[in-house]
Amino acid sequence: MAVLHGRALMMGDRRIIFSSYGYLFFFGAAVVMAILATGAKVVFVLGGTLIFAALFHREALRLFLRWQLLFFILLTLLLSPFVIGQKDIALWGLNLSREGFWAGLWMVLRALSIALAAGVFAGAVSVSQMAQLFERLRLKGLGFAVGVATNMLPTVQETMETSYNAVRLRGGFRRHRLETLKLLLVAIIAGSLRRGDDIVSAAEARAFDPARSQGPALHGTRADVVLMGVVSLLGTVLVMM
Amino acid sequence: MKFSVRELVYIAIFGAIWGALELTLGSYMHVIFPPLGDTFVVGLIMASLGVVVALIGRLFVPRKGSVLMIGIVTAILKMVSIGGVKLGPLVAILAESLLMEVGLLVARKPMRWSFIFAGALAITWNFFHKFIMMWLLFGKEVYEVYMGMVQQGASMLRVDVSYAAAIIVLLLFIRIAAGALGGWAAWDLGRVVRGRLAR
Repeated sequence: MAVLHGRALMMGDRRIIFSSYGYLFFFGAAVVMAILATGAKVVFVLGGTLIFAALFHREALRLFLRWQLLFFILLTLLLSPFVIGQKDIALWGLNLSREGFWAGLWMVLRALSIALAAGVFAGAVSVSQMAQLFERLRLKGLGFAVGVATNMLPTVQETMETSYNAVRLRGGFRRHRLETLKLLLVAIIAGSLRRGDDIVSAAEARAFDPARSQGPALHGTRADVVLMGVVSLLGTVLVMM
Repeated sequence: MKFSVRELVYIAIFGAIWGALELTLGSYMHVIFPPLGDTFVVGLIMASLGVVVALIGRLFVPRKGSVLMIGIVTAILKMVSIGGVKLGPLVAILAESLLMEVGLLVARKPMRWSFIFAGALAITWNFFHKFIMMWLLFGKEVYEVYMGMVQQGASMLRVDVSYAAAIIVLLLFIRIAAGALGGWAAWDLGRVVRGRLAR
């Protein structure tokens, strides 16, 4: 939870260049371009995404340290020369396909572009801004619900831990495991809902109206317009090339 | 979609419960299971639990859109978690909650059979998830890799390729059954929770 609050504060202190709309557009454009760019063109998509991430949200580059991703990259690069295309080269006694190797490489670069763009969007847009983006889709009160959920998360986790320990200490998992699991879920939900009543009372006491938008309204910036123009132009050129 | 304050708080609580399960149990299972088992084992367990929690939520907020809202809250919590953003689980949570919502539309008010249908429909996504995400991330060439792996595996084990197709169909049926069971359980557990709160 401290991480969430810490990040929200950091977002507040940082000089805003692009708004949530800008980052959303960037993410959408990166996904569309990665899908439409064929063959080696995907190098440009990854290059553009890397430059954007390095300039505006460096934390997203930590993606490259994730071992699951590295495992998938390695697996795709190793497997594709064996299973894609005609085998036209022999290496250390293995028959491999050049076409397969290149196809595997483009697949990996495409996956990296999309994953990196998603990382930039998720890291740069705060929880409240994300909720506001959804509220624009006529999901009124979502911002409030996300706020309550964020604050409830440690309480729910604590309830889970307490209930699990109570069940375990009574030897609940030794026999009738399914029944115990059901009881555990019931205890967690009932415990969390009881605490929810206090939140309802507090919100109603403050005359909270979910129909009204919460927090400052989202506004686009000039940088968003420039970003949209540049990305649209480069994207069109890349796809038409 | 307009919800009262109480309904929004309930949506938040069910979103937080699903989110907490994803962040604790989900993260733990992603560590203990190998990456290739993600969708087929971890995904199925987490999706089943998500279906149970979200459908119990529907009993407490019996209005259109409530399950979708629970899913969006969960997805946002998952997105800002310490592990960083992972597209796969995010898409899965949103798609499953959307499918549950669609499944619940067939009945005017919450009923056991609509919960079973919604649960089965939601977890069906889990079967297609890997294929769709792989297409999105890696492109259509990834199917060639999978087909090649299936053919080579079948020839290595000296079994007919049609057995692989039968296994795939079986995996789909396991998912439908798990979802239906989740919907059935949610209906009963929701009533138990309601009874406990009324005490």
